[in-house]
Amino acid sequence: MNVDISEVTRRFGRAQAVAGVSLETGPGVFGLLGPNGAGKTTLLRMLATVIPPSSGQVRLLGRDPGGHGPRREIRRRLGYLPQNLGYYPGFTVAEFVEYFALLKEMPPRQVPQAVATAIERVDLGGRARAKLRTLSGGMLRRAGIAQAIVNEPELLLLDEPTAGLDPEQRVAFRALLRDLAERATVIVSTHLVEDVGAACSQVGVMDAGKIVFQGTPDELIACGEGTSAVGDAPLERGYSAVLVSARTAALVA
Amino acid sequence: MTAATATPVRHRTPRTVGVVPLGFVRLMRMELRRNAMPWVLPLIAALFWFDSYRPSVGASPLYGLRTFWNLGQGHTILDFGPFVAGVAAWMGSRDGRRGLADLVTATARPRWAGQLATWAATAIWAVAAYLVFVGVMFAMYARQGVGGSPPWWYVADGAVGVAAFSAFGFAIGVYWPSRFAAPLATFGGFLAMAMSSQTGFGAADGWALILPTNSNGSFNGNPQADSGIFYHWLPDLPIARIVFLGGIALFMLGLTGLPARAGGPWLRRVAALLAVAGVALAGTGVRLAAGARVAAHGVIISALHDAADDAPLAYTPVCGPAAGVTVCLNPAYRRWLPDVTGALAPVLAEVAGLPGAPARAIQVPAAYIDPGSGGGPPQKITLGGQPPVLRLSLGQLDMPGPCGFCDRQVGAAGFANQLRLLFARAFVATGSGLGNPAQQAVQAALLQDAGIPFAAQPRLAQLAGNIPGPKPGPATGPVYAAAGRLATLPAAARHAWLAAHLAALRTGRLPLRELP
Repeated sequence: MNVDISEVTRRFGRAQAVAGVSLETGPGVFGLLGPNGAGKTTLLRMLATVIPPSSGQVRLLGRDPGGHGPRREIRRRLGYLPQNLGYYPGFTVAEFVEYFALLKEMPPRQVPQAVATAIERVDLGGRARAKLRTLSGGMLRRAGIAQAIVNEPELLLLDEPTAGLDPEQRVAFRALLRDLAERATVIVSTHLVEDVGAACSQVGVMDAGKIVFQGTPDELIACGEGTSAVGDAPLERGYSAVLVSARTAALVA
Repeated sequence: MTAATATPVRHRTPRTVGVVPLGFVRLMRMELRRNAMPWVLPLIAALFWFDSYRPSVGASPLYGLRTFWNLGQGHTILDFGPFVAGVAAWMGSRDGRRGLADLVTATARPRWAGQLATWAATAIWAVAAYLVFVGVMFAMYARQGVGGSPPWWYVADGAVGVAAFSAFGFAIGVYWPSRFAAPLATFGGFLAMAMSSQTGFGAADGWALILPTNSNGSFNGNPQADSGIFYHWLPDLPIARIVFLGGIALFMLGLTGLPARAGGPWLRRVAALLAVAGVALAGTGVRLAAGARVAAHGVIISALHDAADDAPLAYTPVCGPAAGVTVCLNPAYRRWLPDVTGALAPVLAEVAGLPGAPARAIQVPAAYIDPGSGGGPPQKITLGGQPPVLRLSLGQLDMPGPCGFCDRQVGAAGFANQLRLLFARAFVATGSGLGNPAQQAVQAALLQDAGIPFAAQPRLAQLAGNIPGPKPGPATGPVYAAAGRLATLPAAARHAWLAAHLAALRTGRLPLRELP
């Protein structure tokens, strides 16, 4: 298992952002759905080793990120796209991706080729020399994806990767995800259930800091069948049904 | 986006160039290319031009005087430091301001290493700009024929100072990643320099000598004129300052490596060690400066002093005749040789053939203290030896031409009168004082014959403000009456009287009434 976490919690002062999450997943695309404030971003930040859990066990790529050495090894094999990605306005696309390739300690001789490949894969080959401040929001997002995948990560964490992408780019991105998932574990946090349906082999729904559903997209669809859950598409109805069910259970408890 | 499969990256230990990993070198290259420092360099260049260079060209063309303002009083660091601190804070706060802190934290390279690359690029730009600006200034000085050699140790002080400012600003940026970090660091830099300047003006010794704006060390009064001309610029105080400023830089950089995000425990221990070493170094610098003492050629710190620095600099003098007497100066003073020979010729002609009249005149180095006078004020012109040699310490005088920050510009006539007055005093052996009435009268008569009327003489000492000793009174009374009688004697008679009475006159045993 590339991701193996159990009973992980994370507190920020009195607020508990993640409340006892357990998750095991191997290669493939794992979609993480949930309403705002459900704890998805906090969970991804923990998986990205940006913040440590308050409690619980985390093993990533077979290593414990609590130790400095293993954490560094994990980070070499990690790709991460935060929800609110900033950028260095004076850098070109190529420089931005190269910068993160070097921070990921890729072998320097391999960096130029890897950078070119990553930029091509997000369709920014023609803008490789453009300064980041000249790019649109969607292009910036793609530059962010390029830096995440430049090291061919074994664990790829994407927080709202398709925000700002046009429909054509979203379709292309899903194809890229499927390709990456052949070798890597990809965890995608998203609000867009169509992304999950098109690209994810596994899906989890988070609410109030907990994973309230984990299964395949078809199983999520099944949750919405025969219920009065709202939604325009079967996945949306399944998602709504899961949330209603989880909140009702929480009220009863 | 394309789903083309790329070859998976194999992770292995990064290759190295020498002792520096190649990846770090590439990071540095990128940081250098995209650093914000070049954007502020035009502003610093303008400041440097108007605050460091232009005021300095008003000073006499000697390195010690030209660099008093910009390197001695630290105006060059003042021009650089605050802005360098501001830009460094901007760069240090970059990841936080740009919302990239999470992303850079999630990379394998320790965050502190990445930050050090950013700082190093910022510091390289700043220090390189400092060295280029100072280098251009020295090149312009060289074209203007400035005499002596540049105070390289003080240049090194400034370079380390600029690096320290960059580390200070960077640390502020790292700990306070906000858009206000840069103005805060700039203001902090100005405040530090203002306080340093105020303390530097007031404190002539002790710990305050460590401040790079304190000119009371080797830049102190006119004796500095001969540093780099007759003797080396003493490196003792600059070395102490380098230790101090380097310590501050290390401390600041160490601080940036302390947060948990900065790296692993080993790296953070290194950062803590660096911070402690920085404090120790800075403290050592202060202690060294506190033990400094002024010697003849500058400030000496026993623990750092190298006796080789006391050796005089070799030079081939430039010489010219003055009333048959050869006058030789250091080549750094070549431009003033005609002024000196022109000034001395009338008085040398008057005393030619008399006992004790100089056989030649040479320039001697100016000194902070005169080892031969028991620590008293150094004599500017002395006459002695066998055969008698006139020793001119021109470094203690305001030379003709621009004098920078002196009260008024010295003209050729003023300089000549000043030199004649000092010669007359040396000839009748009054030293720094006016002498007894007989000596005063003989001096007055010599000066009158050299073209300085009695009426102008009392004012001369006041105008030449740096001539030591008490000022003479009005040109009246028995002294000037006796001087008038002596001056009106035929030249041969005066000469004969002087030949007969000079020995008694010089010992101060000749009373005024014995003058003709």
